[in-house]
Amino acid sequence: MTLQDWLKSSWLVAHKTSQQEIHGRLSVAGREMVDAQVRGLSVDARFGHAYNAALQTALAALAAAGYNVAKGESHHYRGIQSLSYTIGYDASLISKLDKLRKKRNISDYEQAGTVSDQEADEMVQIAKDLRAAVKAWLRQEHPDLLKG
Amino acid sequence: MGTKSSHESMSAALFGRTRRTVLGLLYTHPEESFYVRQMVRAAGVGQGAVQRELRRLSAAGIIERQQRGRQVFYCANRRSPVFNELHSLMVKTAGLADILRQALEPLADGVRVAFVYGSVASGAENARSDVDVMVIGKATFGDVVQTFHPAEAQLSREVNPTVYSPHEFKAKLAAKHHFLTSVLKEPKVFLIGDEHDLTGLAEK
Repeated sequence: MTLQDWLKSSWLVAHKTSQQEIHGRLSVAGREMVDAQVRGLSVDARFGHAYNAALQTALAALAAAGYNVAKGESHHYRGIQSLSYTIGYDASLISKLDKLRKKRNISDYEQAGTVSDQEADEMVQIAKDLRAAVKAWLRQEHPDLLKG
Repeated sequence: MGTKSSHESMSAALFGRTRRTVLGLLYTHPEESFYVRQMVRAAGVGQGAVQRELRRLSAAGIIERQQRGRQVFYCANRRSPVFNELHSLMVKTAGLADILRQALEPLADGVRVAFVYGSVASGAENARSDVDVMVIGKATFGDVVQTFHPAEAQLSREVNPTVYSPHEFKAKLAAKHHFLTSVLKEPKVFLIGDEHDLTGLAEK
C-alpha cells in the first residue's frame, strides 16, 4: 500500500498545500498541546486536547505529502493510518493512537469517564512525540513548506 | 485466587480440541454463521474431525446447520435449552477469556486484576460488539494495546482496554467515579485475579 493506492481507492484527494496551511495546522496542534497541559483540567479535556493536537499533526504531514482525506471518509481513522506512509510511523504506535481514537469516540458518545489519568498522560506524550517527529520529517523532506 | 494455569486447563479438561474450537467460535459469535472451512482453519485439525464434531453437535441441537443454495453454514442454536449456559461457559473459557488471558501473560507480573466487562461479559453482545477489558496494575495503555493486538484477529472482535494504576483506581473509587462504580456492579469475566483481589485493591 502507498498513498497513491489510497488515492485510487478514493480515500484521499490530491491536494496542493502551502506554507500557510502547514503553519496553520501546526499552530492549531501547538495550541491544543498547550491547552492539554493546563493545570486543573479534567482528564477528558486533557485527553481531548492532546488527541486533537495529534490529529492536526497527522493531517499536516498528509497535506505536506500532497493529499487530503476525501469527503465522506473517516478523517480521524485515515489521518492516523496515513502516518505509516507519510513519516513512516511505527506500526505499534499507529495501533496505539488508533485505540486512543476509539477511546475518544466511546468517551464522547457512549460512556463518559472511560479515560484514565494514565491514558490521558500517554495521549499527551504520544501527541508531543508525534509533533517532534512530524516537524523533523518536514525539515528533512519538505523544508520549503516550513516558515523560516 | 484464580491462577492462569487453572484457567488454561479448564477448557482443555472439559473438551477436546476440535469441540473446544467449534463451540468456542460459534458460541462467542451467536449472531454469526460459519463455514466448515473457517472452523477447520481455527481448529488446526483435519476436515474429517471437524465434520464429525459438527454432525454430533447439530444432531444434539446444540448447533444449527443452515443451507443456502450449495453453501452450508453452522451457527449456535439459540433455542437449545443449554444455550445460555454454554454461551457463558465458552466466554469464560475457550472462546474468549483463554485467548485474552494468554495475550496478557507477558504483562502478568505487573497486572493485579484484569477483567472483561460490558456486553460480552453480560451476554448481550451482537456481531459487532467490542470486548471491553479493564486492566489494573503496572502497565501502560500502549503495552496493553500491543499485547491484545494478535488476540483481536483470533477473536474477530476489537478489544478496547481501559488501564488504571492501582493508585488511580483506588482514588477514583473513593471519589465515587461514575464509570468505575457502574462497571464494578456489572457482570465480569476475570482474566487475572478475582473478585476478592478487586475488593482488596479498592480497600488497600
